[in-house]
Amino acid sequence: MQTKYRNRLAFARLAVYRTIPPKEMSLRICVVQFMHVEALLRVYLMTERTNEQWVADLTADHTVEQAEALEDLRLRLQRGIFYYLRRERSDLSSRSHTNLQQMAEDFTQEATLRIIKNIHSFRGDSRFTTWATKVAVRVAISELRRARYRDFSLEEVTADGEMMPDLNVLFPAGQPTGPERSAEQSEVLEKIRAAIQNALTERQRTALEAVGLRGVPLEIVAEQMNTNRNALYKLLHDARVKLRAALEQEGISVSYIHDLFR
Amino acid sequence: MAFNQLLAMVEAIFSAHEEELDCEGCDQEMPHLVEIIEAGEDPTLLLPAVQEHLNHCRDCREEFEALLVIVRAEDQGVLNQNGNGTGGS
Ligand SMILES: [Zn+2]
Repeated sequence: MQTKYRNRLAFARLAVYRTIPPKEMSLRICVVQFMHVEALLRVYLMTERTNEQWVADLTADHTVEQAEALEDLRLRLQRGIFYYLRRERSDLSSRSHTNLQQMAEDFTQEATLRIIKNIHSFRGDSRFTTWATKVAVRVAISELRRARYRDFSLEEVTADGEMMPDLNVLFPAGQPTGPERSAEQSEVLEKIRAAIQNALTERQRTALEAVGLRGVPLEIVAEQMNTNRNALYKLLHDARVKLRAALEQEGISVSYIHDLFR
Repeated sequence: MAFNQLLAMVEAIFSAHEEELDCEGCDQEMPHLVEIIEAGEDPTLLLPAVQEHLNHCRDCREEFEALLVIVRAEDQGVLNQNGNGTGGS
């Protein structure tokens, strides 16, 4: 609960308590017990702002309400992000507690700015805090991706121009596939290769290789292709639709490939 | 490329639909979806398009899973007030 209200509440309780004469011991005890229950209820039921209150407080520029809401939001986001960094990110397990706290603080600061800037895009179909946490998660994960792929170069990854594997690569020496089956496998791989070559644009091929085969995040690939993540997703989606049509024409299906390469 | 990657790619190709939710659409629906799951409802019935996007988009899936973890910890009171949330370590 906000400090201001907590103090006012304490004063109000004391004032009520003092109106009861000291000789009415049992009444005093009764009132104190009641206040205790009421305080607990407040903690459980009323600590949360409603969505409307969050938005109203955060946008009430230069007011105490805004300062308090910002502080409450900051604490909440920071502990959530810290929890995520510490508990879910094995890649950060070597970082110190202080270091992770600092990261959580930085991400939260950036996220808070973004939340205030985009607060009007909050549609109210979830709790405000869930929406705000989503913004913070996105900031944190984006930053972590950028740090991890700092030295990544899309050109290097796609330089060899050879996307589809050889059977020798797919099945390292000595796999028990008969000559007939092996010929059929080669044929299917060749058809997939041809579909990728003929049905897709250069950009689609690059994106498919980096994202689909190498597992590079869309966000990183998008940056290097001078586009944004949403547009890249659409580009890849378009590529999948085209490949599906091309492969279906060749009579290839998932179950067929599954059986053939099993 | 390993066989699993080939199969994953082929599966992604064959599950392509003409109309799919994009990353921005997914981003908007994410808070709602997380709360549906937290409430124990079946997300595949309520928001199938979002679920489908998450199957195809690793970036969104990573963010979605992180959000779910944090919201769940908040709801279960795992995160304490001083911001540690380390579960008592
Ligand atoms: Zn996405």
